[in-house]
Amino acid sequence: MIVVAFIVLALMLGTYVLLDGYDLGVGTIHLFVTRTDAERAATIASIGPFWNGNEVWLIAAGGTLFGLFPLVYASSFSGFYLPFMVVLWLLMFRGIALELRGHYASELWHQFFDVTFAVASALLALLFGVALGNVVRGVPLDAQHYFKGTFAFLLNPYAVGVGLLAVLALAMHGAAWVALRVEGAPAERAARALRIVWPIVLLFTLALTYATFRVHSPWPNLLAMPWIALAPLASAVGLLGVAVLREQPRRTFAASSLFLAGLLASAAATLFPYLLPGFPVAEHGLSVYTATVPPATLATMLPVIIIGIAIVGAYRAFVAGRLDRGSRGSA
Amino acid sequence: MGAALTADRIQFAFTIMFHYLFPIGTMGLAPFVAWYTLRALRTQDALYDRAARFWARIFAVNFAIGVVTGIPMEFQFGTNWALFSERTGAVVGQPLAMEGIFAFFLESVFLGVFLYGRNAVSRRLHAASAILVWLGSWLSGFLIVVVDAWMQHPVGYALASDGHILLTNLGAVLLSPFAWWQFLHALTGAVLTGGFLMAGVGAYYLLARRQERYGRLFLYTGIVVAFAFSVFAIFPTGDRNGDDVTAYQPAKLAAMEGLFHSQMGAPLAIIGMPDTASQTLIDPIAVPDLLSFLAYGNFRANVQGISTYPVADRPPVAVTYYAYHIMVGLGTIFLGLTTLALVLWRLGWLERSRWLLWLLMLAMPFPYIANEAGWVTTEVGRQPWIVYGVMRTSDAASANVVGAEAIFTIVGFVGMYFLLGLLFILLVLREIGIGPDAQHAGPQLAEVAP
Repeated sequence: MIVVAFIVLALMLGTYVLLDGYDLGVGTIHLFVTRTDAERAATIASIGPFWNGNEVWLIAAGGTLFGLFPLVYASSFSGFYLPFMVVLWLLMFRGIALELRGHYASELWHQFFDVTFAVASALLALLFGVALGNVVRGVPLDAQHYFKGTFAFLLNPYAVGVGLLAVLALAMHGAAWVALRVEGAPAERAARALRIVWPIVLLFTLALTYATFRVHSPWPNLLAMPWIALAPLASAVGLLGVAVLREQPRRTFAASSLFLAGLLASAAATLFPYLLPGFPVAEHGLSVYTATVPPATLATMLPVIIIGIAIVGAYRAFVAGRLDRGSRGSA
Repeated sequence: MGAALTADRIQFAFTIMFHYLFPIGTMGLAPFVAWYTLRALRTQDALYDRAARFWARIFAVNFAIGVVTGIPMEFQFGTNWALFSERTGAVVGQPLAMEGIFAFFLESVFLGVFLYGRNAVSRRLHAASAILVWLGSWLSGFLIVVVDAWMQHPVGYALASDGHILLTNLGAVLLSPFAWWQFLHALTGAVLTGGFLMAGVGAYYLLARRQERYGRLFLYTGIVVAFAFSVFAIFPTGDRNGDDVTAYQPAKLAAMEGLFHSQMGAPLAIIGMPDTASQTLIDPIAVPDLLSFLAYGNFRANVQGISTYPVADRPPVAVTYYAYHIMVGLGTIFLGLTTLALVLWRLGWLERSRWLLWLLMLAMPFPYIANEAGWVTTEVGRQPWIVYGVMRTSDAASANVVGAEAIFTIVGFVGMYFLLGLLFILLVLREIGIGPDAQHAGPQLAEVAP
């Protein structure tokens, strides 16, 4: 059951990255693939109805972490105090940029929010990557399982590398979205951007895969559960897909999603059973076995959470289909 | 530790009080948006359609600021109140997880359909979206009040030997009568605010002699709802909340009423200044015996005063007392004002009574103050406990976050929220200035796709 809880949490965070990932990616690249106010309006409108629902995956995952692994929630949020506060402020800037842009028909008003959207999105991707990098590398927990995440410790080369990979990978994902969902010039420019970005993503992925073996070796998990090798394999197939399927936007976006899903699954498979490994020794960290609520609580909550997510998935898919059909129908 | 605790409390109080201004608007306006949308669908009358769009635009700004200021509330449980989260997470984490999964998704996904999908989806689905957004906003309110109500009156839990709190009965937590009455009272406050906003904007249009058809519509919808919920705020919801405080939190009751010494036939203070140093209510105007009657249904009943509790267990009297009296005073004024408006309406004099339209327009901020004052009463009156009788606030803050860090982030939040507040006021005033009759509906999917 505890393994199910780990998987549910990983799936929620993964869904967040796949969905809000394209919003952040669109933010990161939109100034590069648009030339006019109308093009930027169209690009932003392509995520308009979805971004807020996508962001809820982060909030729901946070709530689920709180409910199922309170100690991990308490330790990681307080340990990463300042970075998390910066994330909050960036989420605010990103949110108001998207929501308030359209309320004033002034180009200056739009320019302010377009740049805000771009800077906030890129920095959010960077910080999320740095956070993931530090979680994989481990943090120095004390006897009460708390730690103090100073910037000097958190901004280590490995974590910063993961942060840069996150910016690039999400920019690629965002470009794939623009190529798929926006018509005309921005889509063409996004397709060209994909050709430039994917080789850089490939380089970073290879370098960080090598580095991951140095900071938190996946070998023990790989030997115990050889099937988890499917995750990096899926990731490789995804990136290859982005490279060769450029002319088919729907498949490019699917390939980019597969790449991200594979990367995150690889990270989760490396981490298991830890949610917050110790540093320098992973064993001093918080694992799903040491940090969870009693089995009876899990038995109550897991079905509630899983049924809830299934309902959300159903109406989210229904709504996306209706909006899609409607906007095509009136085109 | 002391400096950190103070800074953590200031930050939470500031961010929650700022944030709560927006859920009031969301929960209070959602039913009006849904109602006008349904009327438009039924009657095919452009008046209702324009009215629905107008309030939806204001709702959207309100929702956007509410969302971005809401995320820090969930984060702060972990960042600033780690020991609270660690000990109580098995209980408190569940309604929070459910709020994300069952309420926030519903609200945000269908608001996307409602705002962007006007031309893309069928009118029935569009109207259904308005109702689902309404449902989501109220459900979210319920689940967060469940958390607060559990902190006020913990149920369905067990205390483990290591001090951790275990969940024994999720149903008891979700169905706690304490939580339901608290939720209904908070919700009443929100809908009352929505009613006053409708009436106030309507009064403005009538006073300014523009958009008068809409002004009339908003005014009449507003005063009917504001009157009904002014009554509902006092009885039964306010009354039942009072009963719960009397039964489970007598120290809070004493602080609310400024009653320092236990008394048979305790008076109800209408006005007076509580002075903790001398343990007296200075210069009071009070109704003899009334507090005993309201609390226990007996004019001679004994009501416990603050002085009967150990100093370490007393809530801050002045803040609790003033917040409570501001709420009750304003609630009484709301009832009087809306009753007067209804009477003048029946007599056919309402639109000629410009003085009353002025009062209704100027009344708009006050329901917000009453809502905030109610929450200050509830939360400050709960002190020194974070979980009533179980865990003290002083034991709940993160041990690994120091005061200097929290002060730094308070400064950041103050700056950020100043900007958000300015943007909100600017955009809402602009929408009111443009008015419902204008042809502008915000961004649309179908306009975007070529």
